[in-house]
Amino acid sequence: MRLTSRGPMRKPAGLTYAGQMPGPMTQSFSYDATDLNIVEQLRLNGRANNQQIAETLGLTATTVSNRIKRMEDANQLRVVAVSDFSAHGFNVLLRISVEVDGRPASDVAHELGALPEVVAVHIVTGRYDIDMLVALHDFEDLAHFLLDRLSDIHGIRSLTPAIVVDICSYQFDVAPIEAKE
Amino acid sequence: MAAPLLDTLDTQLIDLLSRDARVSNRKIAAELGVTEGTVRGRIKRLQQDGLIAFTAITGFEMGKRARLAFINVQADVDKVREVARTIADLPQVNAVLITMGQFNITAMCLVDELDALVEIASDQILTINGVHHVETSIAVKTIKYNARMAKITRPAEVVDED
Repeated sequence: MRLTSRGPMRKPAGLTYAGQMPGPMTQSFSYDATDLNIVEQLRLNGRANNQQIAETLGLTATTVSNRIKRMEDANQLRVVAVSDFSAHGFNVLLRISVEVDGRPASDVAHELGALPEVVAVHIVTGRYDIDMLVALHDFEDLAHFLLDRLSDIHGIRSLTPAIVVDICSYQFDVAPIEAKE
Repeated sequence: MAAPLLDTLDTQLIDLLSRDARVSNRKIAAELGVTEGTVRGRIKRLQQDGLIAFTAITGFEMGKRARLAFINVQADVDKVREVARTIADLPQVNAVLITMGQFNITAMCLVDELDALVEIASDQILTINGVHHVETSIAVKTIKYNARMAKITRPAEVVDED
């Protein structure tokens, strides 16, 4: 979709959400205000213990513990440490838009996702087929990534890179949650 | 962005805490064979240096906004930073990257329907002074995504534990 004027945006024809991550349509987990209040406290301080949360919200520590466990068991909550890209030594971030030719985009996307340098891959609507975020230690890694990794993947018609020079905000507290191992 | 000096213990701590941040210092200390004081001190330092932050990540069944959308923006080069800050202040926007490429700003947001995306892209972003072109794309399928690695833009206020 392209927007060049203030006119209403057209919905792209044939846009389907097949294969979409579970969304509003598959709502099956029920939760109440108490659950949301606990989540809010955990977002403020994920390391707060059950007793501290209980005191803030006027609950018992047992209730807090049970509620957290229920949300975790349903794969709807993870309280985690998020680490900065730089903590992993990734000092170069590239966002690369990929055009695919002659192969299903999902096949190419899965092969891209298997590369360790690729930290995120999405199949997208619009001008390009795949959007990926690539993290490298430095620009010297780029030659290896392009010439040894990407060159092994068939069906890539074009790569349009954008060098990430600054990140003003980056806040994702809703995400697909994988089952615990 | 100089590479920080992290030793094996830091890396082990990050690894443990990225799986579950609610493990007690005592348990971590026992697992890694160090004292509780060391664990507490290391965690505090990592937080203060903006290398880790603790948060709660919820799944899509606990909120409506589920679809990731990219809003690619072409803005005047002399106004990029200003425009990016204005976009970052929009409550519906989760991430803002300043880039060098075909577009100079990418905003990411989680939307529950196309109308919400239109609202943000054409009503709010396209009207910002200095923005002259906006393109959107929606992630219809996510193949790989790691919520545990991010850009920590505001180091957390460190709360003393225990």
